[in-house]
Amino acid sequence: MEYPKVLELMKQRASAVRTVVSEVRSMREVLDYVLDITRKQEGSSVAAPDFCRGSAALAALCEKNGLALLTENLRDHISKISTGLTMARWGIAETATLVVDSTSEDLRIATMLCETHVAVLPKSNIVPDATALQEEMIRMFEAAPRYLAFISGASRTADIERVLTIGVHGPQELHVLVLEADEL
Amino acid sequence: MIKTPSDIKEYRKNLKNALGNQFLGTTLDTFASAYPASRENAFAGIDFDALACDIAKAKDEAIPNLEKLLGEFTTKAVRAGVTVHFARTAFEANSMIAQIAKDNQVKRIVKGKSMTAEETFLNSFLEREGYEVTETDLGEWIIQLRGEGPSHMVLPAIHLSRRDVAELFTKVTGEQQDPDDINGMVKVARRELRQKFLEADMGISGANFAISQTGTIGLVTNEGNGRLVTTLPRVHVALIGVDKLVPDLKSALKILTALPRNATGQAISTYVTWITGATECKSAESGRKQMHIVFLDNGRLALSKDPLFAQALRCIRCGACANVCPIYKLVGGHNYGHVYIGAIGLVMTYFYHGLENARAIVKNCLNCQACKKVCPARINLPDLIKAVLRTVYQVEGKKPIRNIMLQKVLADRRLFHFMLRRARFAQKPFAEEGYIRHLPMLFSGEHGFRSLPALAKVPLRDMWERLNPPVENPKYRVALFGGCLIDFVYPEQAEALLRICRGYGVQFEYPMDQTCCGLPAQMMGEKETAREVAIQNLKAVDPARYDYIVTLCASCGSHLKENYIALVAGDSPLAVKVAQLKDKILDFSSFVTRVLGMVPEDFKSAGQKVAYHAPCHLCRGLGVTREPRKLLEISGLEYIKSKDEEVCCGFGGSFSADFPELSAELLRRKLNNAEATGAEVLVTDCPGCVLQLRGGTKKRGGQINVKHIAEVVCDQRKRI
Ligand code: SF4
Ligand code: SF4
Repeated sequence: MEYPKVLELMKQRASAVRTVVSEVRSMREVLDYVLDITRKQEGSSVAAPDFCRGSAALAALCEKNGLALLTENLRDHISKISTGLTMARWGIAETATLVVDSTSEDLRIATMLCETHVAVLPKSNIVPDATALQEEMIRMFEAAPRYLAFISGASRTADIERVLTIGVHGPQELHVLVLEADEL
Repeated sequence: MIKTPSDIKEYRKNLKNALGNQFLGTTLDTFASAYPASRENAFAGIDFDALACDIAKAKDEAIPNLEKLLGEFTTKAVRAGVTVHFARTAFEANSMIAQIAKDNQVKRIVKGKSMTAEETFLNSFLEREGYEVTETDLGEWIIQLRGEGPSHMVLPAIHLSRRDVAELFTKVTGEQQDPDDINGMVKVARRELRQKFLEADMGISGANFAISQTGTIGLVTNEGNGRLVTTLPRVHVALIGVDKLVPDLKSALKILTALPRNATGQAISTYVTWITGATECKSAESGRKQMHIVFLDNGRLALSKDPLFAQALRCIRCGACANVCPIYKLVGGHNYGHVYIGAIGLVMTYFYHGLENARAIVKNCLNCQACKKVCPARINLPDLIKAVLRTVYQVEGKKPIRNIMLQKVLADRRLFHFMLRRARFAQKPFAEEGYIRHLPMLFSGEHGFRSLPALAKVPLRDMWERLNPPVENPKYRVALFGGCLIDFVYPEQAEALLRICRGYGVQFEYPMDQTCCGLPAQMMGEKETAREVAIQNLKAVDPARYDYIVTLCASCGSHLKENYIALVAGDSPLAVKVAQLKDKILDFSSFVTRVLGMVPEDFKSAGQKVAYHAPCHLCRGLGVTREPRKLLEISGLEYIKSKDEEVCCGFGGSFSADFPELSAELLRRKLNNAEATGAEVLVTDCPGCVLQLRGGTKKRGGQINVKHIAEVVCDQRKRI
């Protein structure tokens, strides 16, 4: 399966788990999206531990809008993270899954303890199913230690009367921004 | 500490209480009704049977090699900075974990969901050692606060209502909670547990996979608590049963394809976390996590070498065998397992938690096969349950009197049939001697939820010659395998078969030395007796003599076809006969539609409205689902679909004598569903189901008529 079909499949499967998938053309659009959503939710900070490329622009943007930008030692800010902005290594269309290399502790905290997780997914890294990533995953596992996360939606539970409820421990929302590879 | 009654009387009392719990009844019924559709939806485009075969195969390759896989895993994990422990017993595992806590000056522990930790009762152990342990999965936290065990392997608090939770949370927080604000209560848990995460020094998780190839563990969760447990505290301990070892990522991904789909109808769980080695942890002095993996044996390695029970280790803990179990649905998990719940719980309790906890619950199975059909690891659960039952009898060295009776009577066909004939004239004295209800299909009237049929005036075998004149130049030579109920209670169903087939060139025979198929013996854990009658029947019905062997009883048919192989295993010429028999056995509807190829022109039109009950042993045992429904249509009847058509009617042979209240409840629901269609006749294709359903409707004065499919089809057949 090729692009754009995989993207279509991913979008379709994402809607089933209330993941918002959007296509963006540039890093600038990513930043606007993050700013927009953080403001809308009355958030106060953006945690972006692995955003080297966009960091200057992001820092400027945050500063201009009165948002705290957190990039390291996130453990010290655990209860203050509004939006977590991270990269996703791959996307798996069949299950609308993001594959995020979460080996760095800061990255884990940014994705687990934010209110809203925004992940940037390079367009060319969407595969139809997990089997397609087998080799790559093994290679990553072999370069241990490694903490690899499959994320498919926002944190959910159905433990009270089987009523689906979002945001029990982790993020309440998951947004995926599909970006042209050469914009990275 | 959870308690499971070992005394059947006490157990039945609990069951009665559960039946009276309206919330539980409604919740589990809603869940059971919604589950099949969401499961089917999740598997859309995936060949479930092929996937299950793949998983079973991968597991079967791993199970004999667990020690080797453990060695490989350990090498990789140690290289990545993990300390790997091996615990032979539950106590050893708990002690090791307490020691790790002690060595690391731990005070507070957060836990992710782990059935293995439930198995070892790790929480109470650690609490006794003075640690504060908090479950962080919402459902687990709720039951921990209530001091209960899980009532489902995937949905541990499914037995509780929003009111129960609100009451509990009000107590915990000291603030009034609104039961109708589930979202609000979830947020309470988020807040309370977040604090626990931040304070904890140690996190304990389970794992769904341990991959030898790379020393990776895989955790499947929805809430994300598993990620926090493995990230925030400076020490991480994973407690993993050795049966979770798989050779490679490929096998893990296969299991992952089935697990969430089969468990909750999700394409994938929200978080799947793959951890290889000790990763960064800034709260640890070294900057790196203290990571320990404790592998638990607790009998698994011995199980892996058991020729019969090794397959139980294929279990991927999806919980589906509970989801589809008609009894689970009536009484809930606390009455249907000890720690492990559902069909697999009935099996594993004996091994992990002992005879006392297993002896009552293991009797509580209808052999309806629903669990076997959904199991993604193709575990023959109903068979294993019977094997445990048998073991319980063996270990205790005593059996119910009716087992001994059955053993004696069934071993000798002449005696058995003699007693059946006598029973007709002397039902009373026999009943009083306690004989009659111990015969395979006859029960005393003490359980008055259904009327029992009278024995036929003349058994089928005595009128066979009169009913079955020779056919000239027959096209087919067919043996009828009657079974006890057709022979001695409902010979008219066989008569209907003969009348329907008239003009189609079928020469039927009724091999007179045939006897009970042996399923009742198997159901009661009497394998030797089951084997003896199997051999008698194989001698009586030589498959080489016939083109087909037709049966009107789904239970006999599926027992002959599926279980005889295992019963005569190792007996070389007989095993060949069984294989031949297997190829020739057909149920009534398949014979009439597929072999005789009957068409609408053979039948009158504008027949009655009928509802259909699919016998367990037909739709799952023999896998026949289309033919009977097609036959109803061909024969001009107006077939109306009803709710839960393929759910057991509650007969289950001796089951209905052991657990009359469960049998009665399943029957009540079945009849309600059938009556709701407005049909005049409820049709089924097993005389055991006819006995149950007809007895039930008569008892409650129901309007619906219960008929064997051969009878209704015969009424529609044009006379020739
Ligand atoms: S055979 Fe039926 S009654 Fe027995 S455990 Fe399986 S689903 Fe439950
Ligand atoms: S026995 Fe089969 S159906 Fe039951 S939990 Fe295990 S894998 Fe799932």
